[in-house]
Amino acid sequence: MSENAISIRSMNKYYGGFHALKNIDFDVSKGEKVVICGPSGSGKSTLIRCINRLEEHQSGTIEVNGTPLDDNVDNIDEIRREAGMVFQNFNLFPHMTILENCTLAPTLVRKQSRDEAEENAMTYLERVKIPEQAHKYPGELSGGQQQRVAIARALCMAPEIMLFDEPTSALDPEMISEVLDVMVGLAQEGMTMVCVTHEMGFARQVADRVVFMDDGEIIEQAPPDQFFDNPQNERTKTFLSLIVGHQ
Amino acid sequence: MSTAASDTTMSYIRKHYFATPLNSAISVLLALFTLWVLWSLFDWAVLKAIWGKGLNEECRAHEHGACWSFVATRWRIVLFGLYPFEEQWRSALACLVMLAVAVLSCMPAFWSAKRLPILWVLGFATFFVLMRGGVFGLTEVTERDWGGLSLTVFIFAAVCLLGMPLAIIFALLRRSELPWIAKTMALVIDVIRSLPLLSIMFTFAIVLPFVLPDWAIGDKLYRVIVGYAIFFACYQAEIIRGGMQALLMGQEEAAKALGMGYWHRIGYIILPQAFRNALPPTINQFVITFKETSLVTIIGFFDILASGRAAAGTADWSFATIEMYLFVGFLFFIFVFCLSRYGAYLERRMAVGSR
Repeated sequence: MSENAISIRSMNKYYGGFHALKNIDFDVSKGEKVVICGPSGSGKSTLIRCINRLEEHQSGTIEVNGTPLDDNVDNIDEIRREAGMVFQNFNLFPHMTILENCTLAPTLVRKQSRDEAEENAMTYLERVKIPEQAHKYPGELSGGQQQRVAIARALCMAPEIMLFDEPTSALDPEMISEVLDVMVGLAQEGMTMVCVTHEMGFARQVADRVVFMDDGEIIEQAPPDQFFDNPQNERTKTFLSLIVGHQ
Repeated sequence: MSTAASDTTMSYIRKHYFATPLNSAISVLLALFTLWVLWSLFDWAVLKAIWGKGLNEECRAHEHGACWSFVATRWRIVLFGLYPFEEQWRSALACLVMLAVAVLSCMPAFWSAKRLPILWVLGFATFFVLMRGGVFGLTEVTERDWGGLSLTVFIFAAVCLLGMPLAIIFALLRRSELPWIAKTMALVIDVIRSLPLLSIMFTFAIVLPFVLPDWAIGDKLYRVIVGYAIFFACYQAEIIRGGMQALLMGQEEAAKALGMGYWHRIGYIILPQAFRNALPPTINQFVITFKETSLVTIIGFFDILASGRAAAGTADWSFATIEMYLFVGFLFFIFVFCLSRYGAYLERRMAVGSR
């Protein structure tokens, strides 16, 4: 149990009367890279947002790094500190500079000194290749740059797990690869990653496992080679044919 | 070059003011009318005006010009109201202290959670000691005798300072996740907003003493300030809530995902952005609040408008009401105009952060 970074057992999620996630069992071991895909409305974003309590599940259990996700606020905070998240719309804080975006949570939550946090932030900004933008505001950056800052901001909290919620879906096509490059680098360094994305090239390149969801259920999961070349389920086959048809 | 420039000016004027005969006629008539109004004003306020101290007899005899002699003679009553004559330097100094505090707190260098409260506590303490006296060898002057500009400034500053934190609390309660808290707060805000300010002031000044225990009554002035602050807070809370609603949904989620707790999210992410969004209506609310301080006259306080009326209330100056209102209006104008310009400066400054 303890070697699992994320462990979800028979978890259900409802929006009012709508059954959004049905009896989900889902594990991610430490260092594993998992790509979740599926048609829109299949519940893949909801699943990843349940992991750090941006959405509340109604039944079943979720454990992150051995910490149970329940109504205990300390546990929720602990899990949020350990699981960094990158959003589709970047969600940088527009009233703060890039550097302030990256140092805010480490100083407030991790109690780092300002100098320490800034030094740390510059390291990560260099890693996502935009240290020269540190003193600009988010609105002055391109979408791809903003998303790279968002990744750096999450990394500044030194999380054990990174959750990506369609990180490239809001980007112009020419900016997708700069973000994916950063994510590939992160994967190669051994970060535990759960990534909701339609970038099948990325999935093939870095994923240890690809999960296909439809209609609130996990339909099929397999290593990328097997998943793409020999899908078992009819719905997976249909989905893949639609995606591949456009690539 | 200059002919080209004047050509374009001429063609601009022709295009916009003299396009058709009717258009030209209206332009000429309005221009003449404007000139006539400006000339009459200038003639009355400057050319035929009577300056200098104590010339009320001359003013009475000479009916066609402004009597600035009124201001020159009676300005101390307008500015200080019933405050004892020989102690009025204290009122003036207190007023200047308050203004200095206000100006300082408008400077970005003072925008920190430590400096601002210290500044304002010191400012209020100095104001209070100067105005009320009774210590350091200063004669005691009770709130009953405060008046004029310093009273107006004091009420305004106290209402805003008390009302703003209250407004933030109201706004946060109003969007509480617990429905009964949110709904109760919404009801309270709606009830207070639907009452006239005057009735709230009356209630706090006159009715409350019958209800409250003796130790909680306090001076009438402070009760009125508390009532006004609650009224202010209800309006300002809705302004802040509007600013919060304009926030992108993802902002709070991003802060949550970084492990930031409720107060950190509110203090660093939600409120700073909400105030930016809500800056124009907030400045508007300050302006309205400043001007409505005049309502305290009705419950027997000598704010600047009331002390102005008192200054023009004696038989020898009773003809100078226009000059009195112009003078008081001018003082209001200076305050409100500075406030508006400061608001515009803030908007420009904050626009940098959210480009």
